Amino acid sequence: MQNQELLQDGLALMALGMGVVFVFLTILVISVTLMSRLIGRFQPAPVAAEMGNKSPRPSGSATQNDETLAVLSAAVQRYRSTRRH
Amino acid sequence: MDKLITLWEGSGLYNLELGQAVMMVVGLLLLYLAIYKKFEPLLLVPIGFGGILANIPEAGLAISALDQAIEVAKPAVLQQMAAALGASLDPLSGTEAWRESLKALSHDSAAPDQVRAARDIAMNVGYGDGMLYSFYSVAIASGIAPLIIFMGVGAMTDFGPLLANPRTLFLGAAAQFGIFATLFGAVLLTSMGVMDFSLNQAAAIGIIGGADGPTSIYVSSVLAPELLGAIAVAAYAYMALVPLIQPPIMRLLTTQKERQIKMTQLRPVSKLEKVVFPLVLLVLVAMFLPDAAPLLGMFCFGNLMRECGVVERLSDTAQNALINIVTIILGLSVGSKLMADSFLSFETLGILGLGIIAFGIGTAAGVLMAKLMNLVSKMPINPLIGAAGVSAVPMAARVANKVGLEANPHNFLLMHAMGPNVAGVIGSAVAAGVMIKYLG
Repeated sequence: MQNQELLQDGLALMALGMGVVFVFLTILVISVTLMSRLIGRFQPAPVAAEMGNKSPRPSGSATQNDETLAVLSAAVQRYRSTRRH
Repeated sequence: MDKLITLWEGSGLYNLELGQAVMMVVGLLLLYLAIYKKFEPLLLVPIGFGGILANIPEAGLAISALDQAIEVAKPAVLQQMAAALGASLDPLSGTEAWRESLKALSHDSAAPDQVRAARDIAMNVGYGDGMLYSFYSVAIASGIAPLIIFMGVGAMTDFGPLLANPRTLFLGAAAQFGIFATLFGAVLLTSMGVMDFSLNQAAAIGIIGGADGPTSIYVSSVLAPELLGAIAVAAYAYMALVPLIQPPIMRLLTTQKERQIKMTQLRPVSKLEKVVFPLVLLVLVAMFLPDAAPLLGMFCFGNLMRECGVVERLSDTAQNALINIVTIILGLSVGSKLMADSFLSFETLGILGLGIIAFGIGTAAGVLMAKLMNLVSKMPINPLIGAAGVSAVPMAARVANKVGLEANPHNFLLMHAMGPNVAGVIGSAVAAGVMIKYLG
């Protein structure tokens, strides 16, 4: 008899639980969709606007690298020559 | 000679009980799985080590001051405690029998204020709570550690894929069927007389199917603390086994053609959407499901810290330093529940068995839901991403991606699977809230 009750409680909890999970997530889906639409209306998503300014950069940093390399090798040269004396 | 005997009688070897020895081996096994098999090492190393510490004979690291006093105190102290508990001890039956009856008394029949009085006596004569016992009461009994971990998980989670395709939330909801089906399974086993679980215990076992460590620990600490050790070990062990458990089920339920379905590219999601989302979720929780507020509130807080972009330092701490500290303490506290008298039972086997069924059913429900959605929606959905609806972030999403690549080497599902994956985290927290509301 008590087992029957436990079984019923289990079933009830299962139905209730799945129901609540689905209802809650459905509400979440609706509100997220609404939220996205609202935001999309007032603030259109900037679609990859900053694509253009990428190309000049690598060459700039390359020359800088060359410069650094020259400075470094000069420093190493001097260090080595001072050590030898 | 007398002193030598005292020394021998105080040694671990003399006092080692069979159950403790077995539990130490279990602890070593967990360490082996963590270190050599890479099973969730971040959790299983502290849990395994804590398990060994908890079972050191005579050290009493995992028991309260009262239990400790009952086990080792002098007869005079025992008599004092018996008086506090409102019982008298039979002078003829000997100290060992006294200890037994006091133990039974303090755990079952005595009123809370009597237990508190007896505890004060034990503290007064110099007994203290074991280290792991203190960890447990601070970190888990209070609920703090799983919640802080949940905050860290929130700070690590990117809701972009979910926001780009909110309908994947349904997959996260469907996968929670594993939780409730397992709950019913545990109740069914009880009614058939195979196992003996109460409804609370059945619910705590079911939550293993949520594949979410902190949620499992939180729920079982509220509903069934006596099963916490077994449930946490099962949850983390199976999370590590996700790449083995899920693919056969996924292949069984889908055709080759379905696995090859390509999904449309996700739209870019603006920063504002990501900032507003945790607030929307929080408001919904506040309105409809306050019992999920501890878990989802901390989750939303962590996520807001991540996305708002003005508290980089806090977000960084929540997802690195803080979560690491708490993981250590949480692991050791879970280990303290790996004591022989509560872990070595037939029920533990039942929990391990039911846990793996929970994972299987959750995976299957997610895949089937994805197939259903595929029938009714215009946008194609690859059913494999449904399997990612059990949380286990990001492992389940990686599994979906891998199985998808096997069917079509150019079909990358990872980003699509992240949506249901984080939806699963929300879904299992909601399920936890319902169960705590219904049973707590």
